[in-house]
Amino acid sequence: MAIGQFDPHLFLKILPDLAYGALVTLKFSILSTLFGLVIGTVFGIFRIVKNPVLNAISMAYVEVIRGTPLLVQIMIVYYGLPQAGITLPPDISGVLALSINSGAYIAEIIRAGIQSVPKGQMEAARSLGMTYVQAMRYVVLPQAFRNILPALGNEFIALIKDSSLLSVIAIAELTRVGMQIYAVTFNAWTPLLGVALFYLMMTLPLSRLVDYAQRRIGGHESA
Amino acid sequence: MSLLEIIDLHKKFGNLHVLKGINMEVDRGEVVVIIGPSGSGKSTLLRCINRLEEPTKGKVILDGVEITDPKVDINKIRQRIGIVFQQFNLFSHLTALENITLPLRVVKKIPKEEAERIAMRFLKKVGLEDKASHYPHQLSGGQQQRVAIARALAMNPEVMLFDEVTSALDPELVKEVLDVMRQLARDGMTMIVVTHEMGFAREVGDRVIFMDKGKIVEEGTPEEIFTNPKHERTRKFLSMIL
Repeated sequence: MAIGQFDPHLFLKILPDLAYGALVTLKFSILSTLFGLVIGTVFGIFRIVKNPVLNAISMAYVEVIRGTPLLVQIMIVYYGLPQAGITLPPDISGVLALSINSGAYIAEIIRAGIQSVPKGQMEAARSLGMTYVQAMRYVVLPQAFRNILPALGNEFIALIKDSSLLSVIAIAELTRVGMQIYAVTFNAWTPLLGVALFYLMMTLPLSRLVDYAQRRIGGHESA
Repeated sequence: MSLLEIIDLHKKFGNLHVLKGINMEVDRGEVVVIIGPSGSGKSTLLRCINRLEEPTKGKVILDGVEITDPKVDINKIRQRIGIVFQQFNLFSHLTALENITLPLRVVKKIPKEEAERIAMRFLKKVGLEDKASHYPHQLSGGQQQRVAIARALAMNPEVMLFDEVTSALDPELVKEVLDVMRQLARDGMTMIVVTHEMGFAREVGDRVIFMDKGKIVEEGTPEEIFTNPKHERTRKFLSMIL
């Protein structure tokens, strides 16, 4: 086995491990996007309601999260919380940190999405006797989500890549698996190219899907 | 007793005094047409009636109930007041049928099948039963506006407000919308219509109100207003548009 160059035999041997790592990456990304969507919807709505306290809370959350590195956020959750008396398993810490992070970005996407729905839609819904919450739920949010689907897809893709930072808290996702193989074989090219390839296999189809969604919505928008 | 009563209604947007003490009454089955130059407060008046705009001062009374009372459940009241907008405002993610069934189901808690029956009845009334499964962007402006009228009517309101509903339409599509409104007036619906369609005002209106600068300048039968206006401002306005 030649050290320092790409080794096809090694590559074939580590494929199952990399595939498993990719599945873990996917699992963390999907879970975090889903929780991020819930957090983001709540804070996105906080941002637009007529309540200065909620506006401020939402703004502070978004600014703090977007203004600090994800790596630091992960470490605060993993190393900091236990010292505050909250000890979580690494998996939970990982999902928590990623969800809080993506929630801030998604909050901004949701806010923009809601604001992209013409004001007349809310007005028409209210004029028919719907409450603010009903109008949001049945009229504004469905249209907002349709408009922001591409942006959400891009956020999901970003999260797939960013979740590689979870390797620092010993979660066996794709990047960590690659590093572990490197540590054992001292061959860097083979596992790391494999890792990159697996990331691409996840992100490329997704970005094609986002493009497709964008074109469809672009051709749909008129009313 | 009149169905709708407006007493000393004022609306300010910051320093802008848009409505300066409006008093009017509308009887059941009456068609009142409001005309006047743009910026005269016509649309704001209409929007204050169902509190899409909160009046700064004054009262709106519907069938004996003061709806400007902050304690009143405005969502209940709005079911009794239909409004149709200049920009149609159909829900763009829903078909024509779903546009009508959504408020029936969500607000009136009517089961799906019955809501669809009601919706089809009103689509038929505006001549669009064959467009039930079309989305708004697949319909012409005139068709969209007729669906919007059907959506408001399906809630079974006691009074219908029309806010320049033909102003955003291509000229050849205006008639189909006015025809629906004409039929509605004949059926005895109480209507308040803000419009620039003077022919329609003359033909369908029981009473015409001329507004300027946030006040009612004069009101009377279409005959009185159009052929023999008393005020100089009314005369000037009519001479400019007729």
